[in-house]
Amino acid sequence: MPRLTVLFACGLFLLASSNAPAQTGKSAASRSAAKKKSAKKKAPRKARKKSARKTPKLPPLKTPADKQKFLAAIRASMPVRRAGSNLRYTSYDLDRSLEYRVGRDRLFAPTIDDERFVRRVYLDLVGRPPSAQEVRQFVADTMKSKRSRLIDRLLTTEAYARKWARYWKNVIFFESTANRNRTNPRALEDWLTEQFKKGVPWDGIVAELVSAMPVRDKKKKKDKNDWSQKTGQNNFVLAYENKAPLLAAQTARLFMGISIQCAECHDHPFDAWKREQFHELAAFFSRGKYFMPNLDSPSKKTAMQPKFLLGEEPPIKLTVHQRRVAIAAYLVYNQDNYWFARSFVNRIWNELIGDGFYAIDSLGPDQECLHPSVVNRIAAVFRYRNFDPRWVFRLLMNSRAYQREIQTIDNDEELFTAVRPMRLNSGQVKASVLRLTGPDRNIGRALDREFRSDPSIPQRDLEGTIQQALFLMNNPTLQSKLNASKLKKRLVTVKQPRAVLTQLYLAVLARKPTDKEFARGLKHLGQVPNRTEAIEDLLWVLVNSTEFLTKR
Amino acid sequence: MTSIHDPGHQQIPFTRRQAIGLSAASLLTPLSLCAEQIKRQQRSCILVWLAGAPSQMETWDPKPGTANGGPTKAIKTTLPGVSFAEHWPRLAKSLKHLAVIRSIVGKEAAHARGTYHLHTGRRMGGPEKHPTFGSVVAGELGDQDSDLPNFVSIGKTLSSGFLGVKVAPFIVNRAGQLPANVAGGLASPRVSRRLALLKAQDAELSEAGAAALVEEHRVLYERARRLMTSPKLKSFKLDSEPDARQLAYGKNRFGQGLLVARRLIESGVPFVEVSKGGWDMHNRLFTRIKASAAEVDRGVAALLGDLKQRGLLENTLVIVAGEFGRTPKVNTKTPAPGRDHWARNFGLLMAGAGIKGGTVLGKTSPNGQEVIDRAVSVEDVFQTICRAMKIDANKELYTPGGRPLKIVDGGKPIGEILV
Repeated sequence: MPRLTVLFACGLFLLASSNAPAQTGKSAASRSAAKKKSAKKKAPRKARKKSARKTPKLPPLKTPADKQKFLAAIRASMPVRRAGSNLRYTSYDLDRSLEYRVGRDRLFAPTIDDERFVRRVYLDLVGRPPSAQEVRQFVADTMKSKRSRLIDRLLTTEAYARKWARYWKNVIFFESTANRNRTNPRALEDWLTEQFKKGVPWDGIVAELVSAMPVRDKKKKKDKNDWSQKTGQNNFVLAYENKAPLLAAQTARLFMGISIQCAECHDHPFDAWKREQFHELAAFFSRGKYFMPNLDSPSKKTAMQPKFLLGEEPPIKLTVHQRRVAIAAYLVYNQDNYWFARSFVNRIWNELIGDGFYAIDSLGPDQECLHPSVVNRIAAVFRYRNFDPRWVFRLLMNSRAYQREIQTIDNDEELFTAVRPMRLNSGQVKASVLRLTGPDRNIGRALDREFRSDPSIPQRDLEGTIQQALFLMNNPTLQSKLNASKLKKRLVTVKQPRAVLTQLYLAVLARKPTDKEFARGLKHLGQVPNRTEAIEDLLWVLVNSTEFLTKR
Repeated sequence: MTSIHDPGHQQIPFTRRQAIGLSAASLLTPLSLCAEQIKRQQRSCILVWLAGAPSQMETWDPKPGTANGGPTKAIKTTLPGVSFAEHWPRLAKSLKHLAVIRSIVGKEAAHARGTYHLHTGRRMGGPEKHPTFGSVVAGELGDQDSDLPNFVSIGKTLSSGFLGVKVAPFIVNRAGQLPANVAGGLASPRVSRRLALLKAQDAELSEAGAAALVEEHRVLYERARRLMTSPKLKSFKLDSEPDARQLAYGKNRFGQGLLVARRLIESGVPFVEVSKGGWDMHNRLFTRIKASAAEVDRGVAALLGDLKQRGLLENTLVIVAGEFGRTPKVNTKTPAPGRDHWARNFGLLMAGAGIKGGTVLGKTSPNGQEVIDRAVSVEDVFQTICRAMKIDANKELYTPGGRPLKIVDGGKPIGEILV
């Protein structure tokens, strides 16, 4: 019997007997007692079921508050958390082990300078490039620890919480085909922002998303589409229409990095997943009895009992609400489920460095993972650090691995010897453009539309479009806004041509021009008789440059 | 990184790098030659999308004189024994080009789901976002290197789903106008000046380690520039179409959209979708249908005639469809009755490439409530479309996650209406 089954049973019985949330310290004695209790029930299956039905005080876990309390109790009793609480694992350790795995004889790209660093960190943590002022200040700072202090400071901002909330909202909603009147992505984003701002651990966030059981408000008849989507945390379930097979596939994909949906219809072709496993997972999300359809004859079907991917089964029969809590617990508070922590680390790594240890969401038990010892180690410590997302950001961003210069990476052997130049996502492009033009709804919407991309697709597989190029080259609103922008008006008044160029490059690309760029820019300003036109040209060039759309 | 993805990538005809090489080479090929080749060999498709779901009984399967038939009269077509609703006199005369299906048994009676089913051949709600059929055609038949996009939609349509941006619909909001952002508004020397500076600017980033991104950026800008300056861009405009022809298609958004569609097909675009909304006639059906039908009747008939005259019809498939049908029973809504959503039997029209004109498939009961002969599924329809377009419906497309999915899953081509 896997450990968590025992744990989950413990949790159930603890609550059943005390009617109060278990306290962190309380456990040892009562837990072993509970263990005995559940051990006693190991008798024949039928008898066990019967006695379970007789347990009258099992909490129904119907309200979100009850669910949270219960999950918190399970969390508090996870032994592994305490075991690792003294463990140290720093960016230095990370670099040492990663460089060892990649091969010390390889050529690693040098560390980026301050200008590159500050732009990279702003784009990654708060979703916009730094202002000229912010760049200047950072470069002028002489403190040795300024890089890690900047990371720390940005991690406390609202913009950080918003940026990553938006990322996860996009991740959750990108594959959603749910009726838009029955979901509220904005509410999800707001809720996630709140969680990231408060520093709620990742396990808590996911447990709440997965265990949600949105109920249609029948009192509000007028509002036909009220599925409680205004409650942000309901929107993962609503994005997948509260349908068991979809929720099973998406839970595995988004929170474990496992692509199991193929197994809905047949045993996974490249992996060890069996069709039964998929449907056992789906059974957790079912509102009634769950049946696996028979593909040959639709009238026949097999009843499935909920069972988690590693074989964990609830020891007793559960109600629909309890099943949701059970799947959340098996997913999150399960020391055998290393995928949960690892998939978060891998996603963040992908977002920050441009490559992951494996394709973001297609990992099965038999899939290849690059340098598993490194990512597994980070994932394990992430768990010991209370699943604190900020810890992952600090660890990665303070590492050399993150602070390397860019290089085009063609094969897996070169991964992590440099950072892959990454395309900015729609949010980052929007922030970069609107910073120059000033707020503009039409431009914002158009950029959202044209630069939209699946956040779960690895960087190397993303592509630009002709429409993006056309928009930045020619869009009349954008052109007129740029030409009437504060930046341009200011530049026209600057007398010194070198100062024009410095201010322009700082404002658009967040760095000073290079010597070549000075030379080219000065020549252009000298050649073109109309100074305003010359400045407009240069502004256009930078906005249309690859660098403007790239995290370098 | 994982060998798992390889089968997927093998299916993609061009890697990015090959595409770059090709685009350079293609600049040397005379455009007219390409167009000629396309005219001869390639099949293309115009999808006329009647958004909102037209009523089968007011279109291709009227039931005059019955309780369910409502006030709609029938008119004779050129095929003895086959009649259309009275609102379609021109198409009734074009029946020699048309295959009429009256017996589709659908499964979706909600707009979003029906639109998805009839655009992708798949039912909504699986784990994958399926590509709309235009994107499939763009990927299978499109010239990856043409000036013009391979899938143009005049009006909204669905997305390219898991097939990604390369075959995404190029949306034109208003027929007869250039697509958004292709007109620069700057004198050409200034543009060249800027592009030269841009090239120098990007060269530095390329040296700094982003060579692949810079190269892709360059190709996109080159293609954007080619589109901006392409002689084929004229296909989006109607200036050169004689007034009489514009009138024949109808001087309205839809008619002009069809005319643009024909021009695009002529320029080698393999898939054009033209949509016309307003078919969700829950009430006042019998009055509202008149104007809507008149536009579509005129436009599609003119399109078929025009394509035929230019010798394009034999390689161009024209489909006229909506997302489902409407209830055979007339409802009692105010201020005047209409029909509600119905998927148990409805119809569509096909004409042109690979299609046997002058055929009618399937039969519904006198009260119009069920199919009594030759029921076909939406998947059957997609199999038929693939056959007509010479696309292998069994070919597997790969999702980014490496999952192979057939272009059409299930169904059989409808032999009776295929040549």
